[in-house]
Amino acid sequence: METIIIDGLSFALPLFIMAIGGIYSERSGITNLAIEGLQGFGAFVGALFVVLVAGTAGTDSQPVFYLSFLFAMIGGMIYALLHALLCIKFKANQVISGVVINILAMALTSFLTKQINKSVFNAPSDKFQLGVSTRFSIPVLSDIPVIGAFFKNLYPFEIIILVIAFIAWFVLYKTRYGLHLRACGDNPHAVDAAGRNVAKIRTVAVMISGALSGIGGMCFAYSISAKFSSSIYVGYGYLAIAALIFGNWKILPTLGACLIFGFARSAGYQLVQVLEKPSSYSDLVMILPYVLTLLLLIFFSKYNRSPKALGEIYDKGKR
Amino acid sequence: MSEQYIVEMRNITKRFPGITANDNVTIQIKKGEIYALLGENGAGKSTLMSMLFGMYEPDEGEIYIRGQKVNISSPNHATKLNIGMVHQHFKLVSNYTIGENIIMGMEPTKKFLGLFPMVDLKKANQEIRDLSIQYGLEVDPTQLIENVNVSIQQRVEILKMLYREAEILIFDEPTAVLTPQEIEFLLKIIKGLRDNGKTIILITHKLEEIKQVADRCAILNRGKLIDVLDVKTTSTKEMANLMVGREVSFTTNKKPAQFKDVILEVKDLCVKNQDNFEVVKHASFSIHGGEIFAIAGVSGNGQVEIADAIAGLTKVSNGNIFLNGVDITNYSIRKRTLEGISYIPEDRQVYGLVLDFSLKDNIALKTYYQEPFSSKHGILNQAKFEEYGNKLIERYDIRSSQGTMTQVRSMSGGNQQKAIIGREIELQSPLMIFVQPTRGLDIGAIENIHKQIIAERDKGKAILLISLELDEIMNCADTIGVIYNGELQKIAPAASLTTNQVGEFMMGVKNK
Amino acid sequence: MKKFFVKILGNEKRQAITIPLFSILISLIVGMILIAALGKNPFTAYLNLLQGSGLFPKPKYSAYQGMLTDFTSFLNMMTPMLFASLAVAVALKAGLFNIGVSGQMLTAGFIASVTVGYSQLVAPVAKPLVLIIGILAGALVGCLIGFLKYKFNINEVVSSIMLNYIAQYLFSFFINTRYIDDISRQSIAVKEASRLTLLKTPIGNLKVDLPLGIILAIIIAIGIKFLLDRTRLGYEIKTVGSNREAARYAGINVGKTMVLSMVLSGALAGLAGVTYYLGYVQSIQPKVLASTGFDAIAVALLGNSNPIGIIFSSFLITAVTKGSGYMNSASGIETEIASVITGLILLFSACGAFLRHLVKRWKTEIEEQEQTRKESK
Repeated sequence: METIIIDGLSFALPLFIMAIGGIYSERSGITNLAIEGLQGFGAFVGALFVVLVAGTAGTDSQPVFYLSFLFAMIGGMIYALLHALLCIKFKANQVISGVVINILAMALTSFLTKQINKSVFNAPSDKFQLGVSTRFSIPVLSDIPVIGAFFKNLYPFEIIILVIAFIAWFVLYKTRYGLHLRACGDNPHAVDAAGRNVAKIRTVAVMISGALSGIGGMCFAYSISAKFSSSIYVGYGYLAIAALIFGNWKILPTLGACLIFGFARSAGYQLVQVLEKPSSYSDLVMILPYVLTLLLLIFFSKYNRSPKALGEIYDKGKR
Repeated sequence: MSEQYIVEMRNITKRFPGITANDNVTIQIKKGEIYALLGENGAGKSTLMSMLFGMYEPDEGEIYIRGQKVNISSPNHATKLNIGMVHQHFKLVSNYTIGENIIMGMEPTKKFLGLFPMVDLKKANQEIRDLSIQYGLEVDPTQLIENVNVSIQQRVEILKMLYREAEILIFDEPTAVLTPQEIEFLLKIIKGLRDNGKTIILITHKLEEIKQVADRCAILNRGKLIDVLDVKTTSTKEMANLMVGREVSFTTNKKPAQFKDVILEVKDLCVKNQDNFEVVKHASFSIHGGEIFAIAGVSGNGQVEIADAIAGLTKVSNGNIFLNGVDITNYSIRKRTLEGISYIPEDRQVYGLVLDFSLKDNIALKTYYQEPFSSKHGILNQAKFEEYGNKLIERYDIRSSQGTMTQVRSMSGGNQQKAIIGREIELQSPLMIFVQPTRGLDIGAIENIHKQIIAERDKGKAILLISLELDEIMNCADTIGVIYNGELQKIAPAASLTTNQVGEFMMGVKNK
Repeated sequence: MKKFFVKILGNEKRQAITIPLFSILISLIVGMILIAALGKNPFTAYLNLLQGSGLFPKPKYSAYQGMLTDFTSFLNMMTPMLFASLAVAVALKAGLFNIGVSGQMLTAGFIASVTVGYSQLVAPVAKPLVLIIGILAGALVGCLIGFLKYKFNINEVVSSIMLNYIAQYLFSFFINTRYIDDISRQSIAVKEASRLTLLKTPIGNLKVDLPLGIILAIIIAIGIKFLLDRTRLGYEIKTVGSNREAARYAGINVGKTMVLSMVLSGALAGLAGVTYYLGYVQSIQPKVLASTGFDAIAVALLGNSNPIGIIFSSFLITAVTKGSGYMNSASGIETEIASVITGLILLFSACGAFLRHLVKRWKTEIEEQEQTRKESK
């Protein structure tokens, strides 16, 4: 039981932060299938930073660990600018743009990883090795039976994510920018008439989406394999999208969806171990979140209302 | 420069690809007057005001506000110059409250935990309540836009301008979506705003409104300024002739109706929308051959759903539809077309046409699967498409740049509508449904379409006409049904009803 | 500058060809800059791509090898690519985005492998059977995606991605538990009788791999072109793709048409799957989806979803991918550069609509300028 909660949380929270990014983008009216690519690119930049400074600071140093997240955010943000550019300035089909961004991210990062390993470190390798993230438990709280597992063996990034998630919630629902952003997803003409720049609001939203995806990607790089390689592209970005659709484009229900995915996955792994099946059975467990997503969508897509202006190209002239 | 004018637009010229929207237009507006801009669709009224509101920049000419030459670069800039505009299509966020919509872009803020700025909705809502009482525009700022009717939405738009302290208020066709009673109220509000010292510019093509409220009236035709008139001393007839550039008759000539057998019978029809909300409630009526049955009503009261239900585009939750005595309630759309329904839909660009297809493909949209267009095995005969396209182009005078190969997207609205009407008439259906057939078209085209509708009636067809334009209904209908909130309030011969009576029913004032 | 572009790209009828060519040109130039930045000669690198694909002679060949060997093995690789791109294109015409081609390929390839590939059937029976099973398996997955879209309004992009992962892990589980070859860590190779590529066929003094599927692929491309332009179903697919509301209004059964186009798309993906897993290669690597299904998106976009255009664009993209192996050994550039170039082509093709729009605007601008110049005279 304890491992289910601990592993479930460490999977659900990175998913959650990526889904919040998706919510920012989609509530502003820009379909974002690019999360997969954004998280990968963000993680690539973060990991690149780690390996570059590793020689002097060592991969396990704490400042490096935290800074890597900052760099992952910046990486995701800059790469997201490409999606914003395609969708907003070049008026490309947003679905196609998202997929293009993903394919390009995969190609670029695997190429660059290999190339950088070869030319900077003189080592033929297709991955960046990261340090092992420390984990900690919150005293007292972690001693409570059952619920205590929520406070035990945490990755530091889980706390970072919760703090950022709260800020993201506050900005989206309580500030002027959030008000404008959500209005862009419903009727951009109203925002324009109110004297606000729709393109700018959306560009910023997509960039925030990139930054948050970058955090998610970096978390997965640390927690799952302690390295960056093309194995980061296993579709968690798409899972985040499913979570936000399931969460009806709202932050709190989306957290619920992510937790369901996380716990389903960790419970499945636990089951394989308890039943003492060979490791190839973990492939079956891996299917779980995806099957669950499909089933949930079948039952809930009826009740969902996507933002009205989602995916529409905004043209000032049109009325 | 005479200080008496608050707005002066001098020698304004604006060109768009292929058209000169404004040609050397000069208007001068005094502070505190109601100044009307009169003209047909496409006369250049909206373009002119869009430039005053900073949405376009003029190619030539100058704009002076309060005697100062200005270069209005954006709506933001216009707002700073105390210019406000209510657009024809409201610019409101449907899932926001009235309050949020009004303050958007000008939000008052407070500090959360004394540190982080957040929107202060409470304060804003209070300000809005005060403002709405001051001008007699009562609204509840906490209601969601999607839950209030058009008339309230328009109040929100007006309050938006007042909240931004606008002095020069532009109204673009504000009465198009209102009932006569709501129009009355709006005109009263507009007069009140003037008496409060505001300057009003009213864009319209409705002469009676101008006669009622305006002080002066500028008439535009094909981008040129024809004349500026003192409203009090000019008759509506004179204005109309100037506006169109020729003599106009206000009523369409038609022979008395010759009713034949009942073609369409609708019994106890109910329709639910996506949210499972009943939008058509137990509607019953019948239409004879040779009869134009018109449904009048304010937009969004269920009239379009009735048309969609008959054509099969919307599911029926209760009741039956009979066509020539056959119960078609559960027929597919195609089967209904074959049984004899032609449908000119409300939104020609969304429903009526495939904009990326060529004209010939659009003309065959409802017959492509039949011989001679398609063989039994589903192979298309392009030559027949071409031939049929050319036939209709000639018969219905559809104008386009490359004949049958023209991409429909590039055609004008009037010609797009001609293509749809031609296609639907050629189906030779006993029942024809017209929903807003003249929306956005100019007077010449409107007259033409009305003639076609009446000609089809005289051929013995049953016509269902749904329109928001009361004039259109009064002009064409033999029988009028008025819908309010999904219920047919009254069904009576057109001759027995006055415009005002119809208006009252549209508001839901019952006296059955 | 503007005038130059308008002159080259201005003709709207020609744009279907000129704009993709323009995208390719820009991508190749960006690729060259990238290669030059690595300190390699971009021209040699591109020449290597052609050499590797058998489109240009290499300096030397080993025994039984020649330009023809390279070229047929290039065609061998192009066959699944052509099928996969047609699959993407057919869905796109119906307004659907089938990003699940890779998953459908895997499904078809796996099912055909375990049913026919490991059987003792003789070639004349096995080969057609492989095709049929591939078509059916792919069509079934396509049908599921179409059905979910039609019945539950589930975005086809999301559902097909989910199915991609489900296929990937599910078949990996079966391969790992039942069909694993312990040495290659892949599934057991299929019998030669079932393979759609004739291996080491002697032609002259060369031994070449002949892909049988390429002829079928080209015939089918022409068939799809006919279907879209000249048949009732094609008209319906295009109407649904351009304007779903208008299609419904016209009495077209939108749901049925969408499901049908996904069935067709899936069937084509199935053909791509069998020509890939039982033709181009002979076994399945667990937990890996073929990148063909994703590259096919680039090919379809580049070919403007026109089947004939796609024959050319798949030729190009395959040349880049196929040639990159030789480029690596000859010039020492990482093979991943191929997918970067493909990604760039994809990126610039996505901007095609914008380019079209831009050229149109410039055109009217120039025309207006000329008009005013005339007037002032």
